[in-house]
Amino acid sequence: MRNVWLIAKREYLERVRTKAFLVSTLMIPLLMGGGIVGSLIMGSKAKSTSHITIVSPDQQLATDLQQELEHGKDSQMTVDVISPGNSATRATLDSMLTDKQLDGYLWITPAAHPNERPSFSWTPRSTADITTKGSITTALKTVLMRERLEHNGMVSRDVDALMQPVKVDTTQAGKNADTTSSFVAIYVLFFLMYMVILLYGMNVARSIIEEKTSRVFEVLLATIRPEEMMAGKVIGVGSVGLTQVAVWLLTAVLLTSGSLMGAIAGGQVHVSLSAMQIIFFVVYFLLGFLLYSSIAAALGAMVNSEQELQQLNMILVMPLAGCMFALVPVISNPSGTLARVISLIPFCTPLIMYLRISLATPPAWEIALSIVLMIATIYALLWIASRIYRVGILMYGKRPSLPELLRWLKYS
Amino acid sequence: MPIVELQQVRKAYDTKIAVADLSFRIEQGSMFGLLGPNGSGKTSSIRMMIGMTLPDSGTVSLFGQPFDRKNLHRVGYLPEERGLYKKMKVIDQLVFLGQLHGLDAIVASKRAHAWCERMEITEAIPKKTEELSKGMQQKIQFIASLLHEPELIIMDEPFSGLDPVNATLLQDTLVDLHKEGRTVLFSTHRMDQVEKLCDNICLIHRGHLVLSGGMQEIKSRYPKNRVQMVFEGDASFLDNPVVESAKNYNGMAEIKLREGADAQSLLAEAISKARISRFEVMEPTLEEIFIETVGGRTDA
Repeated sequence: MRNVWLIAKREYLERVRTKAFLVSTLMIPLLMGGGIVGSLIMGSKAKSTSHITIVSPDQQLATDLQQELEHGKDSQMTVDVISPGNSATRATLDSMLTDKQLDGYLWITPAAHPNERPSFSWTPRSTADITTKGSITTALKTVLMRERLEHNGMVSRDVDALMQPVKVDTTQAGKNADTTSSFVAIYVLFFLMYMVILLYGMNVARSIIEEKTSRVFEVLLATIRPEEMMAGKVIGVGSVGLTQVAVWLLTAVLLTSGSLMGAIAGGQVHVSLSAMQIIFFVVYFLLGFLLYSSIAAALGAMVNSEQELQQLNMILVMPLAGCMFALVPVISNPSGTLARVISLIPFCTPLIMYLRISLATPPAWEIALSIVLMIATIYALLWIASRIYRVGILMYGKRPSLPELLRWLKYS
Repeated sequence: MPIVELQQVRKAYDTKIAVADLSFRIEQGSMFGLLGPNGSGKTSSIRMMIGMTLPDSGTVSLFGQPFDRKNLHRVGYLPEERGLYKKMKVIDQLVFLGQLHGLDAIVASKRAHAWCERMEITEAIPKKTEELSKGMQQKIQFIASLLHEPELIIMDEPFSGLDPVNATLLQDTLVDLHKEGRTVLFSTHRMDQVEKLCDNICLIHRGHLVLSGGMQEIKSRYPKNRVQMVFEGDASFLDNPVVESAKNYNGMAEIKLREGADAQSLLAEAISKARISRFEVMEPTLEEIFIETVGGRTDA
């Protein structure tokens, strides 16, 4: 164990100390920060503050619309009303547009028949300004619906009550199972694993190839077992990736915490993760990462150059992507035979077992078994990788064919 | 007690037999040369000694016990193909390798500094490996294999690629280590180096053992039948009946005597005819012994 630790420590420190690591670790949070600041600026614009004019023969409609646009949910516009307009109005408004005194005007032509809607014509200063147009459309819908409802004899308080947004809560007997948040968590887990494996799994393979070219392995093998070296590399190089991801996630959480909390408090996003779910998330994420890194280690042991490695890139993420097909049947029946079998396949365990845990509590022995199976697989993969590595490097120095690979496993 | 013992060791890779039924032993405290031309199986034998590969058949014993990884901390190994982490600082590298051999980081660092001083490369300590010359890198590698003060030192082609000054420095260091009571084994394809350094040798060719034993004992098995002499005057004494063949390079002669002949009679005749400034009965060189033995075998 000491050797694994020493190897891992060296890999970790050597990598973390490089400028490339520093730059890439800092760049992403900076970009994220920039993005947030940018979207804040955009966001304040999105709550449209345009200055517009409404031209309408129907004084009531124009005032309602003005009210909605000036004090509505997502707009704070300055609205002038001209009622009614004449032919000179249009010319005046057009020249105001050109002088940038106005962002646009809405021309309302009353309907020919009383039961039809009037027609609306929106003339913006810039056609790219879709936010203002959007706000106006929403406001128009609200105003028209309210008008029609009141026209049909409904009291205005009832209208307000009717137009409240609807909120649906999901509860399951005995368990606070929230499918939406389970689903969100499983997608987060999937994309996190996918990203981390793609970004960093290959680093493990690369560091093993590097060891081949530098020939240091021969010095190392005089003291330690190839398995120890492989394990050390997977842990060391993997930790570098995890460090980086942790920094990024932490920044992301810090940067968005304000709006996230606001969203949760506002009831728009309803997240409920138990402590148990968070623990299993971490456990399965780490085990999954180790497992896939071990596959990367085996790939690295097989090839001699980065180019050859590129061709094998897909092998690494294919099993993970395959799990996505199993999501739907598992969600619909998390305790069914299919779900139970798939969740015990080590390559699928991190996603599927986690999904099962968050949907319905599987028996403890199944959870324990899945973890044991994953650890055993990681060990087996490392063992195979070290075999391929040692035999390949000490004897041939070329990429083996499949029959040769099998033969090598028998060598000692 | 032999420190290393190989018994009927055999190793084949696919179709090529690298080592065939090789047996030899290395006694404690000896300076042992493993000799053979390129591709004769030296590196394969060494790798089996330190468990990097296992023999197909036969046994390897280290320190009088069947091979056990635990004993690897008592072995210092310098591989033929040098390898260091390019981007790593020399001192970090040495401490890391020392730690892998079970040393404490502080001890490893102290010894690394002492060794760098001894090998005259203190200026390299804070540098990265990639900034160093090849000879310096080799010295670092050499130090790395000795930091944990191993009882058995195994070096695969330690002198290859070194300039004469550094090669001598390494040789002297090996001699010092030997004097300290450590067992030293090194392989080389250059027989002249072994003659100066080793007390015991093993000569292999195409995976087979050709010769093994004490240097003096081996040499005494071969007749001293060559004479080198420098003279002035009449060269007719070269027709003496004890001479099998002779080459005369204008006053410097290389003579091969008949089997069982005594050089004294030749010397007597030479004195009577010419002025002798040097007359030496030569020991056979290892190279000659090798060529004679291997040549005889391949003919057979």
